Amino acid sequence: MELLSLRGVTKSFGRIDAVKELDLRVGGGSIYGLLGPNGAGKTTTIRMIMDILAPDRGEILILGQPNSSSIRDRVGYLPEERGLYRKMKVEPLLHFLAELKGMKREAARERIGYWLERFALSAWRAKKVEELSRGMQQKLQFIATLLHSPQLAILDEPFTGLDPVNINLVKEVMLEEKKKGVSIILSTHLMEQAEKLCDQICLISEGEKVLDGNLKEIKANYGKNSIVLEYEGQARFLSDKEMVESYDDYGRWVEVHPSAGVDPQEILRRAAQEVAILKFELVEPSLNEIFIKTVRKGER
Amino acid sequence: MRRMKAVVKREYLTRVRKRTFIISTLAMPLIILAVTGLPILLMSLKSEKPKEISIIDQTDKLFPGLKAALKDTTKGGLSLYRLSQVAVPLGELSTVRRKLTEEVNKGKLDGYLVVPSDVFGKNQVQFYARNVSNFRVNDDLERAVSQTVSHFRLSNSGLDPEKVKKLVKGVELQTFKVTAGGNEEEDSGATFMITYILVFFLYMSLLIYGMMVMRGVIEEKSSRVVEMIVSAIKPFQLMAGKVLGVGGVGLTQFLIWSLLVGGFSLYGRNLVSSFAGRLGPLSIPGIPISLLLYFILYFLLGYFLYATIYAGVGAMVNSEEEAQHLQMPLTMLLVIPFMLMFYVIGNPNSGLAVLLSFIPLFTPIIMFTRIAVQTPPLWQIGLSLVLLGLAIWVMVWIVSKIYRVGILMYGKRPSLPELVKWFRYG
Repeated sequence: MELLSLRGVTKSFGRIDAVKELDLRVGGGSIYGLLGPNGAGKTTTIRMIMDILAPDRGEILILGQPNSSSIRDRVGYLPEERGLYRKMKVEPLLHFLAELKGMKREAARERIGYWLERFALSAWRAKKVEELSRGMQQKLQFIATLLHSPQLAILDEPFTGLDPVNINLVKEVMLEEKKKGVSIILSTHLMEQAEKLCDQICLISEGEKVLDGNLKEIKANYGKNSIVLEYEGQARFLSDKEMVESYDDYGRWVEVHPSAGVDPQEILRRAAQEVAILKFELVEPSLNEIFIKTVRKGER
Repeated sequence: MRRMKAVVKREYLTRVRKRTFIISTLAMPLIILAVTGLPILLMSLKSEKPKEISIIDQTDKLFPGLKAALKDTTKGGLSLYRLSQVAVPLGELSTVRRKLTEEVNKGKLDGYLVVPSDVFGKNQVQFYARNVSNFRVNDDLERAVSQTVSHFRLSNSGLDPEKVKKLVKGVELQTFKVTAGGNEEEDSGATFMITYILVFFLYMSLLIYGMMVMRGVIEEKSSRVVEMIVSAIKPFQLMAGKVLGVGGVGLTQFLIWSLLVGGFSLYGRNLVSSFAGRLGPLSIPGIPISLLLYFILYFLLGYFLYATIYAGVGAMVNSEEEAQHLQMPLTMLLVIPFMLMFYVIGNPNSGLAVLLSFIPLFTPIIMFTRIAVQTPPLWQIGLSLVLLGLAIWVMVWIVSKIYRVGILMYGKRPSLPELVKWFRYG
């Protein structure tokens, strides 16, 4: 059974179409990336899934049913707009949020203990939220999302504002939960994170789906026709449109996409004339590249 | 329902556990007690020491009469006034007065009274003292002199002062309040006092608790916690839970106050009369239970109406500073009926008062005032409740739509057309 399905979901605010005829299908036990640039309609889509906004048209089914309070109890949601009751103490706050999700007090106490331990916040359980650092507050909100052991967790930009140590911690927890059979929808505009974590992805741009499916298959379809080059010197060949269709240059590291019919070996020979080559590799295109290409194609 | 209960519980507990709530709840009766009790206490303390007053009686006939008229004593059995007659040799008045003035300045004397020989014609005496603002002393002296002078005149005309006093004795107007049950209760201005105090409390409570709801909405919105909450429960449940929880805080406060007032009127009466002393019987008017029930009823209904509107205002703005502009007209809606209360107390059944009591925004204060002064026809109470209930229902319907959209909108405060749009989205 599909965990989540959207069919022809449309939402507009005044004259702006935020989401247009969106179809989504999320299976169980995977991490599903809902990807797109800022303003693509990701948060609006998620808010409609959570029944915070009503779609103008279309149908949203969670676990095969329309949204209801018993369905919502099986979903965890980390909103992009973070915030907690600042004056409340950590433990009563978590109890309150657990109660909102229909949890019994005893069960909640046990889960709260487990999660505070897991996120190294046990020492802060009797402190007021406002006494916690921003990172801690964010971890607290992450706990609130998973507290009631949801089957589906929807995380809207979970990594923003976290330091590398905590990003790693959140990533670990996501993978643990996935192993336990929890499905996760990860909404982000950071392609590097999504590329490493997601099994399935859906790219949306300006409210429309431009690409979706299994990430491995998508990348395989594009083939190993990208070149990663580490170099020193002036890479003038990059602007030669006959050889290079597009590139992503970082000064010493560049991802090159040859124009149609151009043999990568040709590019290697040309590059060798202009720069010192430290590394040359044929790779699958990065998600970032696929995304940019797909969106550009849509614009044409 | 269970989820809304969680919201109600949180709203209620976080507020009643706050130190400010406990302090203000306990401090309020103390402040009222202090404001009313302290002057009585101070006055009775002051009067413990007898006042030394010299009297220059140029008629040479009034001093014994004055002494008899000012023989009041304190509770401790001491005289309130110690009077001494000062003889004035002919033509020496200014010298004697200078001497007495000096004594007043040194504090040996509290004051002196000059009764001129022409007092029977001009009807004037002079009192010199450092403090002439003690109205009790002034009143006592004036009463004593008037009484003595008129006694003297009557006797001079060959009449018996005691007999005349009996003959011209005034008639007292006793007032009785006729209530719906056919009972007649003696009333001496207590109705006005009770009405004023209760309506004042009603007005303050509607304002304070309405604003408490608004602040709660703004807090949830500005801290961004609201999106997390409405992903678990319906925005309407959040709003309703908040209104109910804060309302419970209000009822708790009333309950505590009622218990304190109840305890006070049982045990405190003795306390007050013990230090009120000879100031006469001090009546603590009893408040009829039925009136208290009406108070709770109109507070709750008025609160539901105003708290809903305040919740809507909270959802429209981003901060409390922004809310202040929108609050102004809302506060006026409460101030206007409060000001009209004085008219309504005087004319509880005039056409205007009846009309005003049917306007739902005014009903809580105006109708309650009318009930407190003179029980209106039952159908009028009924109609006012129906209209108020209807207004609450309509307001909840409108505001819940605006609220639903507003709590997730950040940025500019909406214009009126935008509000209409929000209403349509909701």
